[in-house]
Amino acid sequence: MVEKVSFSRIVFNILNYGFMLLICIICVAPLWHVMMASVSNPRELMSSTGLLLKPAGEITFKGYQLVFKNNNILTGYINTLFYVAATTIIGTVLTIIAGFTISRENMKLKTPITIMILFTMIFGGGLIPTYMLIRSLGMIDHSIAVILPGVINAFYIIMMKSSFEQLPASYEESAKIDGAGPLTILVKILVPLVKSTIAIIVMFTIVQQWNSWFPASIYLTRRRDLWPLQLFMREILVQNDTGKILSGSDALSKADYTINLVKYCVTIVGTLPILCIYPFTQKHFVKGVTLGGVKG
Amino acid sequence: MIPIPHLTVMEESMSANKELNKASKGGKSSWRRDFKMNWRIYLLASPIVIYFIIFNYLPMGGLIMAFQKFSPVKGFFGSEWVGMDNFIQFFTAPDFLYVLRNTFVISLLGLLIGFPMSIVFALLLNEIQRTFFKKSVQFLSYMPYFVSTVVICGLVIDFVASNGIITNLLVKLGMERQNLLMNPNYFWGLNLLSDLWQGLGYGSIMFIAAISSVSQEQYEAAAIDGAGRMKRAWYVTIPGIMPVIITMLILRCGLIMTVGFDKILLLYNPSIYETADVIATNVQRMGLVKAQYGYSAAVGMFNSIVGTILLLVSNGISRKYADHSVL
Repeated sequence: MVEKVSFSRIVFNILNYGFMLLICIICVAPLWHVMMASVSNPRELMSSTGLLLKPAGEITFKGYQLVFKNNNILTGYINTLFYVAATTIIGTVLTIIAGFTISRENMKLKTPITIMILFTMIFGGGLIPTYMLIRSLGMIDHSIAVILPGVINAFYIIMMKSSFEQLPASYEESAKIDGAGPLTILVKILVPLVKSTIAIIVMFTIVQQWNSWFPASIYLTRRRDLWPLQLFMREILVQNDTGKILSGSDALSKADYTINLVKYCVTIVGTLPILCIYPFTQKHFVKGVTLGGVKG
Repeated sequence: MIPIPHLTVMEESMSANKELNKASKGGKSSWRRDFKMNWRIYLLASPIVIYFIIFNYLPMGGLIMAFQKFSPVKGFFGSEWVGMDNFIQFFTAPDFLYVLRNTFVISLLGLLIGFPMSIVFALLLNEIQRTFFKKSVQFLSYMPYFVSTVVICGLVIDFVASNGIITNLLVKLGMERQNLLMNPNYFWGLNLLSDLWQGLGYGSIMFIAAISSVSQEQYEAAAIDGAGRMKRAWYVTIPGIMPVIITMLILRCGLIMTVGFDKILLLYNPSIYETADVIATNVQRMGLVKAQYGYSAAVGMFNSIVGTILLLVSNGISRKYADHSVL
């Protein structure tokens, strides 16, 4: 369609492009600043007052050296990877099974089970009774306390259930005639057909678990060796306690300006991996949000 | 139209069950037949059912501690019953009013400012015609959603410290130099801005998807009628995505009680409790820090119940609206 481009339209376009550019800058600027600060000369960093567009002073990787020499960060990384792997595998498998069972027809307990799952989206016991449960199960200070509670999300089950229900029944009919059991049908026929929903669930679980800190902070209080990365980051970035990460370093490293540098490096070290997988998952991410409509 | 998943599904399955019951009129034999036919599926479902019983229903049962002077040593059966005392203690506590106010204010700020901004952002993005630029804006604006709460709070703490870059900027504009997180007047603003930074792009995804599904014919018809792009946005796009807007709005209303409490937990400190403390953080502090288990369970229960009521009411309104919109 040919359009007459009016003057007001041109003005609007300029403003609109400008606004979008501004939004992009605002989204990127804080992370860019931190990235530049993390390779800055620590002394000059202390005296800079505004947003950094390039590193202050000559580039140095001293901060990263200190961070990677530190056992806490390494422990945190390993633990986080373990928690991410465990929750993703357990959560996805259980979600697939749950979605599958409540998508079956002609099953008397289908409705009670569905309602039982759905009700947990509306009402819950809350923090304290859950904490007491974990405590009486003896899970406090065990890594299982970070993995099991919340590993199944009722919301993902519903997503899974509706993708199963959207599949044409003919896919499984022939398998049934061949005498295949439900598990065979699920694994061999249905799962490959709902790959995209599974990808969405896997992606959301990974991001959520990578960034999770609260359960670990209440269940693993005495076991620093089990802490995920985010808890060590909280100690450094939020509680302002760099003493532990710099312990063993020389006095110079404990100076204020180095502590500042270490904070920026830790931020980058903890954020970069998840930002690196983001470009590859953006499609699933968008689809997941549109499918769900709500945050998990 | 995006359904509100849980409740609609629940109603559907309830009515489906009624039909099923009518078809096969109960009886022991039909149960046996059902079990014989579906035992493998029941076997598969059993770990799920057990999981939900343990991790979701036991804590609900555990709410009885809200009516006790709960002591972990004495347990649920040995602790002293106190009736509604914990609730009364909460309703008469000096912090009750401001905790309630903060919960609502912080949620409603997100609802009244963040939510419309996501819609406006989606509408403006729709006016961008260069695909590459549009895709880049989407890519960059969704990105902050992946940054962890801990890092975001670390950034906020760093930027608004007494020598942080945001503070420096405000000092140039005439503000007195101070740590903004120590001043209760700034907390709502800081929380809202950091939420916007993280959630603006994410919140718009839904609307961008809705806009792209508005039928092209309507735009063409409007264009033939002489409507410019502005008018088309106003008379075609916005009405086209209205059902999504209403549904999302109502859904958000139902989530008012679940404020982003982990962020507040990381950002707040005693000097700003009066504006930053919400019900959920209050529960965490009373329960896990001060070990007043019964009391904090009661506060949490109050939060859950109000949240459930809001959810059910907003769902009811949504259904009513959906019925109207059918006309």
